[in-house]
Amino acid sequence: MEAESEFKEYYAKNMRGISGWFKARAYTIERWLYAAHRITGILIVLFVLAHFYSTGWHPGLWWDALLGIIVTFHTANGIRLILAELGFAVGKPLLVKKPSQRPVSIEGVQRYLVVFALVLFFVLAAIWAYYALVVQPMMG
Amino acid sequence: MSSEEAKEYALPPEVLEETIRASEELWKPVRKIKFRIYKYNPRKDYAPHWEEHELEVSRGMTVLDALLVIKGEMDHSLGVRYSCRMGLCGSCAMMINGKQMLACQTRVLEAAGDGDVVELRPLDNFPVERDLAADFTSFFEKHKAVKPWIIRNDEVELNNPTGPYKQTVDEYARYYQFTDCIKCGACLSACPTAATDYEYLGPQALAQAYRYMVDTRDDGLDVRIPIVDSEHGCWRCHFAASCSDVCPRGVDPAQGIQLLKKLLIKRKFGFKPHKPAEALPAKVKAERKE
Repeated sequence: MEAESEFKEYYAKNMRGISGWFKARAYTIERWLYAAHRITGILIVLFVLAHFYSTGWHPGLWWDALLGIIVTFHTANGIRLILAELGFAVGKPLLVKKPSQRPVSIEGVQRYLVVFALVLFFVLAAIWAYYALVVQPMMG
Repeated sequence: MSSEEAKEYALPPEVLEETIRASEELWKPVRKIKFRIYKYNPRKDYAPHWEEHELEVSRGMTVLDALLVIKGEMDHSLGVRYSCRMGLCGSCAMMINGKQMLACQTRVLEAAGDGDVVELRPLDNFPVERDLAADFTSFFEKHKAVKPWIIRNDEVELNNPTGPYKQTVDEYARYYQFTDCIKCGACLSACPTAATDYEYLGPQALAQAYRYMVDTRDDGLDVRIPIVDSEHGCWRCHFAASCSDVCPRGVDPAQGIQLLKKLLIKRKFGFKPHKPAEALPAKVKAERKE
């Protein structure tokens, strides 16, 4: 009986739960970055736990490069988020709107920040991958 | 108006003909679309189920038009909330093919795109009232929680007003955009934070809090700060910006929340955005009348 009422409550509440974090298909690129930021953040916490257990431990060649992708993405997107969330790149409220006004906070200066964050991510990730895959094996 | 004048103002026959032809074209059925509709009554049903209806749609037909045809001719038990049919009341927001939209402002062919299925669900993250209608009780409570009204401390002036409060166009422009909110609930429904945090105030309430906090007539900044600067307040927003993406009125709540954060940080350093506006003295009013 209790299971039944819980089952009914689940549908009556209609909450998406954690799947709502990753429902990005219908929305703009910021929502994809949000989802990726969540995943990379959780993975970094998991890595840090292992890292605390043994600071000398590293996952290994290719996994090191993957770790680089995770960390550099979180860093680059984090810089964008700090700027946007402190209200520096979201523009000003409008006094006059077009009939189909697109939001300034998304399609204004903030879009350049997105491009900047992605470029920064690729550059940092490439440097990290080069170090992890080429330089470190050479050094032994 | 005489018949002579009426002739002068009438459309030329070829323009009139073209107008009628274009309007007939707009309402001529062009394609068969399948509607998948979410059916669920939490008081009766054990679980929701989907119902499918096929309908010939025209170019100008909105999703709400289609729903009313379905309700009138195919399934009388369909629960749908609507009122103005022109995007002003915010009653008919629903999930149309997985995105929050107003049913009255979305044309069926636009929603269907290349496919021929339109899927309709009640708004995510809202309790279901019945079928496509969501329960807005908590949403309105959250809106009320941020005190969405002008707070003043000058009781004498409030009880015996001597004139309107002063406000320049620049001061008006700071909050005008947020006053367009119609409380359709699309923003809260699209918010990923609201998917897991049920008590999160949400984009609508926070944008409205900002709207009143920067209004120069208002003196309630420090009253609202403990409300928005709380565990379920504006710091839960991580700028996924979906609220602004789905807003049918261009309110841009995401911008409001980020500016609200900026305002809170500035307030921590002792900055106040404005002094409460003074009332224009009666003398000025009298001069203007002359």
